[in-house]
Amino acid sequence: MTKTIIGKATVIKSNKDYYKIKKETILIACHTHPDLVIVIDKIKGIITELDNKLCHAAIVAREFNKPLLMGVENATKKFKTGDRIIVDFENKIVKKIK
Amino acid sequence: MINLLKHTYLLDLEAIKNDIERLWKRYQKIISDKESSWEDLNEARAILYFVGHLYSEKIALEAIDRRIKFVKPKITLDKFFLIIDRNDVKNFKKYGKDEKFNKLKEFYLTVKNIKNRVENGVYLDEERFNKAYLRLRPKNHL
Repeated sequence: MTKTIIGKATVIKSNKDYYKIKKETILIACHTHPDLVIVIDKIKGIITELDNKLCHAAIVAREFNKPLLMGVENATKKFKTGDRIIVDFENKIVKKIK
Repeated sequence: MINLLKHTYLLDLEAIKNDIERLWKRYQKIISDKESSWEDLNEARAILYFVGHLYSEKIALEAIDRRIKFVKPKITLDKFFLIIDRNDVKNFKKYGKDEKFNKLKEFYLTVKNIKNRVENGVYLDEERFNKAYLRLRPKNHL
């Protein structure tokens, strides 16, 4: 199981944002949408505000073996697209790094 | 919706599938019919919320969680989802003889089928719903 990842964040505000992903990224969303699978090969990890084992993010993460951290409060407000972040899946911590 | 809940308590898979299809067809009819009223659109909204969120993410999860303890050999909820989502052949052999595992698996796949449903290129045909909803929404609606 992946313990930690580092990368640039992409914050999803609308479904159109999925189509803007061109490079490998850590996705941050309130909850995800099926359009996520279109760019799944560019997703290094997924962070969601919603915490539910049957939401799209959880299903897609299991299907495509992507690390997922759910239940991160206000994640879409705390971070912005382009932020370099570190995600500690074991301790459930997301931090912005310089 | 009450029938779907009842059949979920019974875990009657065929009835569950039929109930979901019935709701889906009703939803499609409302958003396709130009004669649909504001009240009809709110019925469609209720179906969308119930099928797309309440049922598929909360009720179904509770239904599986409540029954997973009866599967043999013992299995956690997370492992159950992982085996199915990863199409884990080794574990399918291990649990495949357990009738309860197979039933829960089919139920989960039915629920996943809702989550993956796309119509007119859009998840749960939400674009057509949104257009119809906005067209009929009264100006003074709260």
